[in-house]
Amino acid sequence: MRHLAVGLVRLYRVTLGLLFAGRCKYHPSCSQYAIDALEEYGVVRGSVLSLWRLLRCNPWSHGGVDHVHDQRLFRSHEARPAGRTRRST
Amino acid sequence: MIVLGILEPIENVLTDILEWLHTSVGLTWAWAIVALTVAVRIVILPLTIKQIRSMQRLQQYAPELKALQQKYKNDKQRMNEEVMKFYREHKVNPAASCLPILPQIPIFISLFYVLRDFEKEVFPQFPQSELGFLNNLVPDITQHINEHWSGWLLLVVYVLSQLFSLMLSTTAIQSKGQRYVLLALPFVFIPFIINFPVGLMIYWVTTNLWTVGQGIVTRRLYPRPTLEPSKKSSRTPAKQPAEAKPAAKSPKPARAAVPEKAAPAPADGTAPQRPVRRRKKKGPRSRR
Repeated sequence: MRHLAVGLVRLYRVTLGLLFAGRCKYHPSCSQYAIDALEEYGVVRGSVLSLWRLLRCNPWSHGGVDHVHDQRLFRSHEARPAGRTRRST
Repeated sequence: MIVLGILEPIENVLTDILEWLHTSVGLTWAWAIVALTVAVRIVILPLTIKQIRSMQRLQQYAPELKALQQKYKNDKQRMNEEVMKFYREHKVNPAASCLPILPQIPIFISLFYVLRDFEKEVFPQFPQSELGFLNNLVPDITQHINEHWSGWLLLVVYVLSQLFSLMLSTTAIQSKGQRYVLLALPFVFIPFIINFPVGLMIYWVTTNLWTVGQGIVTRRLYPRPTLEPSKKSSRTPAKQPAEAKPAAKSPKPARAAVPEKAAPAPADGTAPQRPVRRRKKKGPRSRR
């Protein structure tokens, strides 16, 4: 499932992404961010993060450097103590 | 399959709009597509204007950005990050935002399906309607592009309009390589596009032409600050070592450049410049 989602984003990148040919105002770009987020946080939380990023990538934001590991919406994998379930986050 | 399911409501809406434009407004199918495209672009117009303006504002910072790029020439990743930081500090960002692209994608794909099945699903309900375009220069918009010479003509128009709109949207800071890749794109797409229905090409050409027109109009309305004054102002005051340092670090030289354009008189020699710079570091606005 995760691979499917990442695959879809990659598909977008080589087809429509080129077609609409914008450069994202963030670094890494929204699509790269989505791939990172999906790989790091799984489909559900990864999608949430990607969507949130897309919403931030609007004409009224200033863009800038914004990596997935800087996000503060979910507890990062490294920080979460082993043995805890997802629900506790 | 999943995608088709998700897009179905959009397809229905688009079909309804097209039918409405055709029956109530009385446009031919081709012009209905054009109208639909223009409507979509008008909806996102405020966003595009914003983007174009910030692209032009960037022109002021061109020298500093050049310096940044020079500094991190060998490290693309780092360069990107530094440039992005720079944008953020100066509250300017020329790049497109992803959000306005988002609504266009489903519309584009849905329109593709609508037009593909147009002959089967929509057209039979309007038996006498006209499928041609521009006095039958294009006889049938549901045909594939490679089926009639007019399709090829449209393809040429598409490539040209795409090139134009790309040229208008590339910024000064993009590297040459990036720009070449962008400009090669329309040609790369040709093999895929030739199987598209002509109606879709009409959508595409319209949207490109809109972009081009938009670019031209905004350039008229807000002419770019020409490069010459900013070059002069960044060169005259600084001896080379002095110029290199602040350009990489701080916003000050850009601010310095702007007022100098307004009041070019005072700085002729090298002597008065040091005090000027010091003043600016302390607090440029309050003193003026």
